[in-house]
Amino acid sequence: MSRPTADWLIRLRQNTGLASAIALFLAFYLFYNIFHPKGFSTPVLVQNADEAIALAMVAMAQTIPVLMGGLDLSVGAVMTMVNCLASHLVIGSPLQIAFGIVTCIAAGAAFGFANGCIVVYGRIQPIITTLATGAIAIGIALFLRPKPGGKVDEDLSWALTNSLSDFAETYGLFDGGKAAWFQPIAWIPAALVLLVLVILLIWVPFRRTVIGRTIYAVGSAEGAAFMSGLPVDRAKIAAFTLSGVFAALGGLFLAIQTSSGNADLPQASAYTLNSIAAVVLGGTSLLGGSGSAVGSVFGALILRVISFNFRIFDIPPLMQSLVEGLILLAAVSLGGLRVLQVKNRLELFR
Amino acid sequence: MHASRIAGVAFAGLLLSSVAVLAGPKTVSGPGADPQCFKPWNEKTKYLQWDKKPGPYRIAVVNGFVGNTWRIQMIKTAKAYAEQPGVKEKIKEFKVISTGTDVAAQLGAMEDFINQGYDAIVTIAVSPEGFDRVIRLADKNNVVVVPFDNVLDTDKVMMVNEDQLEMGKIYGRWLREQLGDKKSGKILEVRGLPGNSVDRDRHIGFQEVMKNGANFEIIEVVGNWDDGTAQKVTADAIAAHGKFDGIIVQGGSTGVTRAMQDAKHPWVPIAGESENGFRKLLAQYGKDGLKGLSVGQSPGLVAIATKAALSALEGNPMPQLISVPIPQARYDEMKDGANYWSNLTDNFFTVNEFKPCNVNITATEIMAKDEKNTTN
Repeated sequence: MSRPTADWLIRLRQNTGLASAIALFLAFYLFYNIFHPKGFSTPVLVQNADEAIALAMVAMAQTIPVLMGGLDLSVGAVMTMVNCLASHLVIGSPLQIAFGIVTCIAAGAAFGFANGCIVVYGRIQPIITTLATGAIAIGIALFLRPKPGGKVDEDLSWALTNSLSDFAETYGLFDGGKAAWFQPIAWIPAALVLLVLVILLIWVPFRRTVIGRTIYAVGSAEGAAFMSGLPVDRAKIAAFTLSGVFAALGGLFLAIQTSSGNADLPQASAYTLNSIAAVVLGGTSLLGGSGSAVGSVFGALILRVISFNFRIFDIPPLMQSLVEGLILLAAVSLGGLRVLQVKNRLELFR
Repeated sequence: MHASRIAGVAFAGLLLSSVAVLAGPKTVSGPGADPQCFKPWNEKTKYLQWDKKPGPYRIAVVNGFVGNTWRIQMIKTAKAYAEQPGVKEKIKEFKVISTGTDVAAQLGAMEDFINQGYDAIVTIAVSPEGFDRVIRLADKNNVVVVPFDNVLDTDKVMMVNEDQLEMGKIYGRWLREQLGDKKSGKILEVRGLPGNSVDRDRHIGFQEVMKNGANFEIIEVVGNWDDGTAQKVTADAIAAHGKFDGIIVQGGSTGVTRAMQDAKHPWVPIAGESENGFRKLLAQYGKDGLKGLSVGQSPGLVAIATKAALSALEGNPMPQLISVPIPQARYDEMKDGANYWSNLTDNFFTVNEFKPCNVNITATEIMAKDEKNTTN
């Protein structure tokens, strides 16, 4: 009997996409911090986390439809719509703020749910459905905020875009952030904690449910999933609904970060396109069936960390897009390297 | 109970001390430095003063969208200006980046430069709102933030722009002057990007002058400040309406003039932007009746914004909102090599001289810059 392969090695082989995304991100990020005059300090980490979180959320939103073999072109628009909604609602008494946050997330979920229903019962391709509904979302956003403006609670805004110690100080928790046990974690950016919580409390449990597994099954072979009696329709609707929730969280954070709402169409499109790039960088197959939202988070971080480095190194300003594109192309090509290992070329067509 | 009260007092003390730490500019009374150049927007404009910092300084330009000729020329101009004698000595490091149309990325980049210890950040804001946090951090770290062109809806930072409403009025006044006693007739107005404050303000200013004691029929079309679009909509308008008595165009002026030429529309008075191609046509056909005025939102505003940042870092009182004089040239003032260049492309923006500011970035200086990110 041959020696069994170690468990962690099997897991690594199953997740090469995720592993290489993490490695690439860490390499770039280490580089950035080493050359940054204030590298490895809390302000730098806080700034980086704030900048990346909205894109990370939208990338997670994109992942779920992609796992199912579809594309969601409305994620950036839903983010923008919720951004505008939040600039009206997330202000006032603590109760009003809580109500506003719940309403914002519910709005995203409802929008995603509608997307799912159109795809399932209207039998329209996700890419076309979401192209249309995305335009509707921008329309609603423009209705809510014809011109940029609005306000979000200042304390909330300050607390969530800084380190945990500022968070505790703002809300008078843990002796104003001075408690001894709190110090080892006080430097962590609140935004990062939020992102990890979203992954742990929403994505991880969801993936383990029957619906979550069905999404992967639909992505690999929809016919087989249906014949096996999996709840295909319900899974599709759930997938778009959850996508809406993640997009809403992105929009909510953007509102908290900017303390305003802006129905910015070019920005919405930029987020949608970047979310697709993040999904691919994170090792999720555009054909569906394999990958994870965690990978997409790292994909988003890679997109961000490349531009972080532009602020440290001297790259001609009009060459920056070209350099970014080349790096992304190289990163995506790494994923294609497995082609070289294939023993039978027919495997490529599977 | 007692302990909590003491804690409360201590907390209040902490708050007070943190207020004292918060630096940022003081509001002072005018006049400011170099009032010819740094002209206050109006008589209500307040003055800001930062603590004097020893030079030379580190300055970052955080651009948003890049991809039209105006923005590219702006970046080239920024670099050319930073290289000029008298400016170069004051700048230790000059960095230019573009973040795209993503407010999170622009805010992030600005905060990063604050963290890196830069002294001033010059920016074209992606959105007029959302910069509260960055402004707060900049004040805390004594960093001068100077938005220009697309400015912010705030009075907490120093900003630089041209008066767009006045620019619209200049268009209107030129047409009225050229049309003389005429009080009626068809006028074509080629507008810019819809929903943009610049488009709105120029439109309001123009309409105000045209409607003053006259009865013109003004046909509005949308040209998106782009030669191709402007040329197409002008051609359509000429086909639909026949003859116009005057034309104004906010941007894409070369395209509009070419559309007139193609449709064999007689030359009529026109007011437009400062593209090189438009000025070439004015120089060529001005004597035949293309009586044009070329008024410009200059990419050179970046140089004025940088100059203002340097002045603020030197501890001078500065107007919170700086109105840059609007550069203009008439068809009979066109001079090759001075205010237009027959050897340069049509989409080069010609106005780069600001006499009151003693700033002139010549075309050759701008074009010589190969967009390299210089660090000196």
